[in-house]
Amino acid sequence: MKPILSVNNLTVAVGAKALVNNVSFDVPQGKITAIAGGSGSGKTTIGLSILRLLPFALGIKWGSITFEGKNLLEEPSENMRQIRGARIGMVFQEPLSAFDPLFTIGQQLDEVLAAHTGLSQQERHKKIIDTLSEVELPSPQRVYGSYPHQLSGGMRQRAMVAQAMVGGPSLIIADEPTSSLDITLQVKIMELFGRIKKKGISILLISHDLGMIAHLADEVIILRQGEVVEKGMVSQVIGQPQHEYTRELVEAFQ
Amino acid sequence: MALICFWTLVVFYALAIFADLISPYSYKDEDRDFSYCPPTAVEFMDHGQWVQPFVYGRALTFDSTHRRVYVIDQAQKYPMRFFKGGRLFTVDAPGRVYLWGADARGRDLFSRIWYGARISLSIGLIGVAISFILGLLIGGIAGYYGGWVDGALMRVCEMFMMIPGFYLMLALRAAVPENFNSVQIYFSVVVILALIGWASLARIIRGMALSLRERDYVLAAKTLGVPDIVIILKHILPQTISYSMATLMLTVSSYILAEAGLSVVGLGIQDPIPSWGNLLSDAMGIVPVIFAPWILLPGLFIFLAVMCFNVVGDALRDAFDPMFNEGAS
Repeated sequence: MKPILSVNNLTVAVGAKALVNNVSFDVPQGKITAIAGGSGSGKTTIGLSILRLLPFALGIKWGSITFEGKNLLEEPSENMRQIRGARIGMVFQEPLSAFDPLFTIGQQLDEVLAAHTGLSQQERHKKIIDTLSEVELPSPQRVYGSYPHQLSGGMRQRAMVAQAMVGGPSLIIADEPTSSLDITLQVKIMELFGRIKKKGISILLISHDLGMIAHLADEVIILRQGEVVEKGMVSQVIGQPQHEYTRELVEAFQ
Repeated sequence: MALICFWTLVVFYALAIFADLISPYSYKDEDRDFSYCPPTAVEFMDHGQWVQPFVYGRALTFDSTHRRVYVIDQAQKYPMRFFKGGRLFTVDAPGRVYLWGADARGRDLFSRIWYGARISLSIGLIGVAISFILGLLIGGIAGYYGGWVDGALMRVCEMFMMIPGFYLMLALRAAVPENFNSVQIYFSVVVILALIGWASLARIIRGMALSLRERDYVLAAKTLGVPDIVIILKHILPQTISYSMATLMLTVSSYILAEAGLSVVGLGIQDPIPSWGNLLSDAMGIVPVIFAPWILLPGLFIFLAVMCFNVVGDALRDAFDPMFNEGAS
């Protein structure tokens, strides 16, 4: 089966300094693929490169990112906007700052549907409520009308997963989705991602948490200072680490 | 203090809206026999008895230096008529009631001030509305996109800010055809004021947008494919509202002053349509001011309105400023 996303020889640099150096990997359809590595290893940069939303100072020097048969680096920017949210959704680390404090959760999910679909007001409302219950939020009607600060951290994170899902994407990029949550909530969110995978949505999980990756992911790419040091099936890479850096990471989690 | 000023403004606007009702005469109703007639006293008592309010008639005489002197003629009494002809109060002709005196052509200053308030107070609001839409949009776009878009828009802003405001105003006014009717002049003055005012606001909004676009929720909205214009309108500009609301108030007052400035030098609203500025231009000569000091009254109203807008603007800014609130409590 063809991978849904394949990144080839991606190099991202600020000036002459390469932050991501010649990185290649595939995200297979319907699987959870994890990118692991310490701080500053370029994990988030890869995630933003896929959406072509790098900060101004960073530039993609070469490489290709193929998603559903299209090279994203060559798409016109209007097509890119249509892909964001509708084909690829993104979940951030800190749900409190990723929601605009001035709008309710419902309004912010509605924005995604208004941008990508021609649905009527009632249809959008229904779809949002459905998505909110899909991510197992209790009383979705109440969440719809709540402002971000009125929800608990776990509920906010679920709401953000719902926001990434509401446009019906085939790939979700989750950037440290559990780092801001306490341990019991982390497990709940992990279970949620497991169920999303079962719906056939591929997930690119960006995390430094090898414990979570071991539980959740199918494949893993270990990144150090912008370079791939090891990649393969999770059981293999974490079970029998070949590279010294991977071994260090694994030991740190035991 | 701010509340007093706020309610003063509300009263001004209400009186301006109901100028037709509260003023005894139309703004162009003149009577040359009563040139510079001093304020009329409204009498409530006649021979020690409470009666319906009335005014005495006046007779125009000249003193030894041929100055006009209006002598109160107690034989003529003109009772006040309330709600006659759609006006709150008036008196039957040939009597005239001049609560705040008359101008050179015997027009009632009280009436003209409230008709003038319509122009002076609305010009500020409409002008500010236009320049705010321009300023917010252009500042928001420049700050959000950055790069060459930002550079180009800011250079345009600087061109407008570079020229001293009043001269730019005169230059723009000179570009307006002279044969405009009063409505066209009104709108050209509004547009001129708006063109001058948007640039400084745009610069500040641009600065705020530059920092706001780095917020996570802006990035989040981008990752969800929300169009840029929606992001600017919904996620960037509303965050600047506390600043812009306060500035809005302060700008209204500067626009009222600018309109008055234009009108005083005769380039604003044209007689017989009154505005506070051109009412005040009657008071440019020293002789009328000495013999008819009441024609300075429009100046007092300009002062009051401007001061009230400033005080309310300051209060709004303080109310929106969390640091200030912490310091006060």
